[in-house]
Amino acid sequence: MITFWRIIKAGFTNFVRNGVLSFASTTIMVLTLLTLSTFFILNVALTSGIEAIQNKIDVSAYLNDSAKEQQILELQNKLASLSEVKSVKFVSKDEALERYKIQNAGRKELLESLEGIDNPLPASLEVKVYDPAKLEQVTSVFDEDGAKELVRKVSYKENKVVIDKLFSATEFIKRIGIGATLVFGLVALIIVYNTIRIAIFSQKDDIEIMKLVGATNWFIRGPFIFEGVLYGVIATIISMLALSALLFYSGPAMNNYFGGVGVDTTNYLQSNVPMIFLMQLGIGILIGISSSLLALRKYLKLR
Amino acid sequence: MIHLEGVTKKYANKKVALDNINLDIGAREFVVLVGQSGAGKSTIVKLLNMEEVPTKGTIKVGGINYLDFPKRNIPYLRRKIGIVYQDFKLLPKKNVFENIAYALEVAGVPTSQIKERVPKILQLVGLSKNSKCMPDEISGGERQRVAIARALVHQPKILIADEPTGNLDPKNSWGIIDLLLKINSFGTTVLLSTHDKEIVNNLKKRVLTISKGKIIKDQKIGKYDL
Repeated sequence: MITFWRIIKAGFTNFVRNGVLSFASTTIMVLTLLTLSTFFILNVALTSGIEAIQNKIDVSAYLNDSAKEQQILELQNKLASLSEVKSVKFVSKDEALERYKIQNAGRKELLESLEGIDNPLPASLEVKVYDPAKLEQVTSVFDEDGAKELVRKVSYKENKVVIDKLFSATEFIKRIGIGATLVFGLVALIIVYNTIRIAIFSQKDDIEIMKLVGATNWFIRGPFIFEGVLYGVIATIISMLALSALLFYSGPAMNNYFGGVGVDTTNYLQSNVPMIFLMQLGIGILIGISSSLLALRKYLKLR
Repeated sequence: MIHLEGVTKKYANKKVALDNINLDIGAREFVVLVGQSGAGKSTIVKLLNMEEVPTKGTIKVGGINYLDFPKRNIPYLRRKIGIVYQDFKLLPKKNVFENIAYALEVAGVPTSQIKERVPKILQLVGLSKNSKCMPDEISGGERQRVAIARALVHQPKILIADEPTGNLDPKNSWGIIDLLLKINSFGTTVLLSTHDKEIVNNLKKRVLTISKGKIIKDQKIGKYDL
């Protein structure tokens, strides 16, 4: 135990003494962790955004009042038979009115305006699909002969912009994210490795002396490993703060861009702070320790 | 205490540093190892400290046979043998007290004991007043005293001094030799390697003369004769 505290103390001393090198290592570690977690959060947030939007997607085909029940049923069956379609629901004019009333329960003047006149709301077919990418394929049914005359308006197009944006963003993030994380991780490992190597090189005579007075390899290795851990811990704290700030300021802009549909990165960060913190800490410490061990190998080979 | 039998050391460049050395040094002895640079004195020290392994032969120190001594236990062996080097080998970023304390720290000695033992050893080598000084703030002779103090702090049975006066002026050199004699009088076996003629001739101790990797003379009360 006493040896453990001596190792920790020596690690701290090394960290302070090699101020510039420690700063360089920690900075590059911060950049790595920041890149990694930004991509991670974006990926998770966008995926959850897509899921949210997928469940919200009702392609509503509003029907002309002249449409016959039989025709509507045929169209409904046709849609339901498509493998891409999850469900098709017929919403009658009366149901639409009921919904409208519920939605606008507090707005008297709107409800009053409906009194005394025929129900102006159209009946509709609400179609849910498994994969939003196939939406266009499904809705093309509405343009076919026999359906064209029944359908007054298809309302998926408004959502489509958001869906497309989300899709391309997720694809981009996935592709770039994995690559960038790997590259940055490797760069961090190389830089931290070299930093510790320089620190070790500047102390190589000391290491020799330590060995000659009877220090075990672990006693010599310990402070350097702890230094690596320290890089990881400090970098994690800085990166978490920077990440919070980054998402806090960019969050609203991103929400806007995606039309406010389920992409809430700030919220995601808040509800997953411990998980993201631990992930960063784990990766930071892993890079720190492996760099130290790699860098020390050569100098501890001596008898 | 120290027993070498048929010890040969060849380095990677095929240079023979030691050639079939046989040597016995008893407990409490003070032995001077004399030889010119490159004769093999430092190789003997390195073998005794396990920095090098012999190409052939047996080494036993304090009853430990080096042949079957596991490499991972070398640090523990080094805590039992005190070694002093020509270039002092002090840690430059630690002060006098810390340099000596370090040898105890690596062995897991509790801080309370360190605070007790280091001042005593500093008193023995006459450096009580310099305990807070950094190595570059004291003279060469004083640095060598620190190195001796560090070597002695584990109370080893053997003290090996490899050219301890090589970087010192005559006055400081004699100060160090007197200290080694004092340590020997307390019962520690001392092996002093040197090529300082005046010291060897005035010591009147057992002298082993080494040349080209061979022990060419072993005199009970020897003189510098090369």
